[in-house]
Amino acid sequence: MRRLPVPILAYFAIMAALPLVMGTTGLFYDAFQAIFVFSLVGLGLNVVTGFTGLLNLGMAAFMAIGAYAFAILTSDIYPFQIGFWWGILATVAIGAVAGFLLGAPTLGLSGDYLAIVTMGFGEITLDVLKNLEAVTKGTQGINPLPRPTFGSWSLDLQQERGWYWLLLGFVLLAVLAVRRLERSRSGRAWLSIREDALASQCMGIPPKRTKMIAFATGSALAALGGALFAALLSSTGEPASYDFQVSILALCIVIVGGMGSVAGTLVGAVVMVGMNSLVLVKLADWASAAGVGSASNVLASPNNWKYLIFGLALILVVRLKPDGLLPPRLEGGAS
Amino acid sequence: MTLKTSMLVAVLALASSAGALAQSGTLKIVSSLPRTGSANAQTGTIVNGIKMAINEVGGKIDGYEIVYEDWDDASPQRGNWDPTVEAQNANKAVTDSTIIGYIGTFNSGAAKIAMPELNKAGLVMISPANTYSGLTKPGMGEANEPMIYRPSGSINYFRVVPTDDLQGPVAAEHVAGSGAKKVFILHDRELYGKGIADVFQKRAKELGLEVAGFEGIDTKASNYKSLCQKIKFSKADAVFFGGTTQSNGGQVAKDLRSVGFTGMLVVPDGCREEAFIQAAGASNLEGNTFVTFGGLPPEQLTGRGAKFCEGYRTMFGTEPEAYAVYGYEAARVLLDAIKRASTKDRTAILKAVAETKDFDGALGTWSFDANGDTTNRVFSISSVKGGKFVFERRAGDAPAGGAKTE
Amino acid sequence: MEWVDFFLQQLITGLSNGMIIALIASGYTMVYGIIELINFAHGDLFMLGAFLALTVLGALGLGDWSGASAWAAVVIMLMASAGFCGVLNWGVDRLAYKPLRNASKLSLLVSAIGASFILVNLGLFWGGVPMDVFAGGVAAAAPKDFPALVPNTNLLGEESLVQFTPKDVLVWAVTVPLMVGLTWIVTRTRLGKAMRATAQNPVAARLMGIDTDRVIGATFLIGGALGGFASVIYSLYNNTISFQMGYRAGMDAFTAAVLGGIGSMPGAVTGALVIGLVRSMSDAYLETRWTNTIVFGILVLILIFRPSGLLGSRAKEKV
Repeated sequence: MRRLPVPILAYFAIMAALPLVMGTTGLFYDAFQAIFVFSLVGLGLNVVTGFTGLLNLGMAAFMAIGAYAFAILTSDIYPFQIGFWWGILATVAIGAVAGFLLGAPTLGLSGDYLAIVTMGFGEITLDVLKNLEAVTKGTQGINPLPRPTFGSWSLDLQQERGWYWLLLGFVLLAVLAVRRLERSRSGRAWLSIREDALASQCMGIPPKRTKMIAFATGSALAALGGALFAALLSSTGEPASYDFQVSILALCIVIVGGMGSVAGTLVGAVVMVGMNSLVLVKLADWASAAGVGSASNVLASPNNWKYLIFGLALILVVRLKPDGLLPPRLEGGAS
Repeated sequence: MTLKTSMLVAVLALASSAGALAQSGTLKIVSSLPRTGSANAQTGTIVNGIKMAINEVGGKIDGYEIVYEDWDDASPQRGNWDPTVEAQNANKAVTDSTIIGYIGTFNSGAAKIAMPELNKAGLVMISPANTYSGLTKPGMGEANEPMIYRPSGSINYFRVVPTDDLQGPVAAEHVAGSGAKKVFILHDRELYGKGIADVFQKRAKELGLEVAGFEGIDTKASNYKSLCQKIKFSKADAVFFGGTTQSNGGQVAKDLRSVGFTGMLVVPDGCREEAFIQAAGASNLEGNTFVTFGGLPPEQLTGRGAKFCEGYRTMFGTEPEAYAVYGYEAARVLLDAIKRASTKDRTAILKAVAETKDFDGALGTWSFDANGDTTNRVFSISSVKGGKFVFERRAGDAPAGGAKTE
Repeated sequence: MEWVDFFLQQLITGLSNGMIIALIASGYTMVYGIIELINFAHGDLFMLGAFLALTVLGALGLGDWSGASAWAAVVIMLMASAGFCGVLNWGVDRLAYKPLRNASKLSLLVSAIGASFILVNLGLFWGGVPMDVFAGGVAAAAPKDFPALVPNTNLLGEESLVQFTPKDVLVWAVTVPLMVGLTWIVTRTRLGKAMRATAQNPVAARLMGIDTDRVIGATFLIGGALGGFASVIYSLYNNTISFQMGYRAGMDAFTAAVLGGIGSMPGAVTGALVIGLVRSMSDAYLETRWTNTIVFGILVLILIFRPSGLLGSRAKEKV
């Protein structure tokens, strides 16, 4: 902990304290539970794209693998039923293996070719989840899923503070792990590959193995995010919950936050997901309370403006802050 | 609270208990439907139906002010219902104690997420559109359904639409009754479309129809020409499509005709909206396309149903879509229960909804059964003529093959 | 020989679908070639082109289109959509991409994603325009029927099992000359030379006196116009448009561009034809629900064995 830079420490201090002033329930918790889930996915993508410079457009697929692996291992319609904690652990391992398996044949590809392979992997994953009904229940989703338990006490969805702190705890663990990796031999290799693949290869850094470790780390974190997402819903939802748009959201989090910056990713998740599940929801609520809305006029329905507002916000953010809200040099980290 | 105000409260409480004052307070009804993206057209009419029902009682019941909020369970990223948002809505509803009724969801998948949460809170949920059988009927879905949606042990979920396990056979019987021998079954791989295609297939085989193929489509494809050519070459004389306008039903119909398939096309109620005809092109549906629908279509409704159509036209200036009446019916059944219970208490209102018997609704006279399903089993079959749905006959409550054209 | 007929039919359908993808893909590949941006908004730009075409048709009056008047309407729509998409693409570049020329490639990508969201939303609004062609605009989000201006008669005779229709002819008759013309522009004209120079090294190109901003603008204009042509062809071929159609069209086209070797014009066409044919064959001989998996599976396999795509050059890596 002592080595965490100030912005990250401040983030966790504020986040941990927020529920004390936000009451015990409300939209705030819904939004922040989603924010923390996507922080995990964002942290994973930050390792792949931010540190190592590999564009991955298929993070949602790893989330899906995490969610479905967790569901199959824990749901009572399957024989495994290993419980929440073992389920989470197994999911992280499965995510890493999945990342390895995709990475092994494809990480030799350069730049945007890798991007489209990961995008294709995302599409394939969705189709497989949809079509292999015997295992995945198709579009039905697998439910219900076990709640986290601490001894005899289990966490219900209504205990929003509990979930909030639990998820925040996972984010903290992920940040510590990523920071540790970043400072390890692998982490330095990631950055050097990103900066100059040729030179780093000359210095004896094996490019493929380095990329594989980054890929597996990122996938494991995304799978963790997916498993927690499913646990929170107590259902995997349908496969389309992990579609390309989710990968895009993860990418926006990392880039808007600041590529290669852990604190930036955390802030990016707050901004992007917060806009989605807090600001836009509130706007629509206010408009609907003010009596705006009509089925026959498309412009009059506030919900129909959400894409536009989201898109404008994205363009404005990168226009005003092309390096992200909190680029690595402002983070106070090593790089 | 100061002594003064607490005394005031006590006085007021006395006064009201003496019956000098009518009950007062706000009862909130919310709906959770996908309002962003492609389903918006159908959910818009449902919301209109709900608003109309509340408007009819003047927004007041027994001194309670009825407030309605139209919640969205879709997100702009998905352009469709989003499980996270649905979970948020359910949670939001549970924690706001003024909310006494939850109208939703549109998608059966979303219902699976909201149901257990609302059930634990004892908040009544009425769906105007979910038709997946496993939500209420034991033995129809997974082994653990529907009990997983009822953690409290009792029922809080009701629906005003007949389920897929009833509608699928109606469609299969229509195909068999028309003299077709070989049917090709398509579905959209969604909970609703796949579910209804499964029961269609089962019934079709029982009726001795040959199933030429059973395929899930890619709902985002630009066209289905190759698939439709395969259907044409298979020499099937009928096609059933389990899906909706959103899952590209219009394009399927269009491509079937464009490759020269002349057989019968049958689609379920998810396609029974003007938008389907618009998307498919009226000429492609002319004559040999049939739509099954739970209940009678708006123009065939008599009594209260006819009044509903008239009122809808006056209030919104458009013809009601088939789904509008479900929204209207869901809201009315809830308002009726509030009136009977005459309280702010969720449990009492839930109990009143469950006790709904011989309800004089726009869809006819019906009750909720022990599973929370409507006892209304009337189906109708319509065709498309001149770009309009034209009522053909009643089906479903009559024995197979015995229904005659009215 | 029914199976021969069936196979020929799939070839025709696959190639026609592939041609449409090729037109969209060339727009991607041009923009990528010059500023290395995966232009996410391109598919949605294409979608708006289709909405414009339908609006133009509505303004011309919905009648019983046939014969010469139908073909005249087709030409008017092609011109209108191409002009509209070209200018719009140029405008999107000015507003969303140009300010980020010196920023990282990924910021540019996020800006493109933002532009894509905005265009999708505009498509939703457009569907709500109270015109007859949009069914009065009541159901804005619903898919719209695009009138069948081009007849679906079988040119091989009505009794033939194989269908080859004027629709297929139209697709080929528009796409092939456009691709030839485009190749001519890129390889034979001064503008084309400037484009290739800017693509190779923008700084050096500027030093050589090339106004790179204008060249990039022209690229967006031409790429957008191709998307506009594609939108009309697509609409006349499929007869349905929806505000969400840009997603799949864009994804197919982008995949085609990469499969062929991104930045390469013949590569984009090859990739598109491969995707069109694979989709048809998979729908016809395998199962539709696995088609997407097969397309992307083939993509991954090809890239593993040919990391720069089918026709991409290996040595073009910039340092």
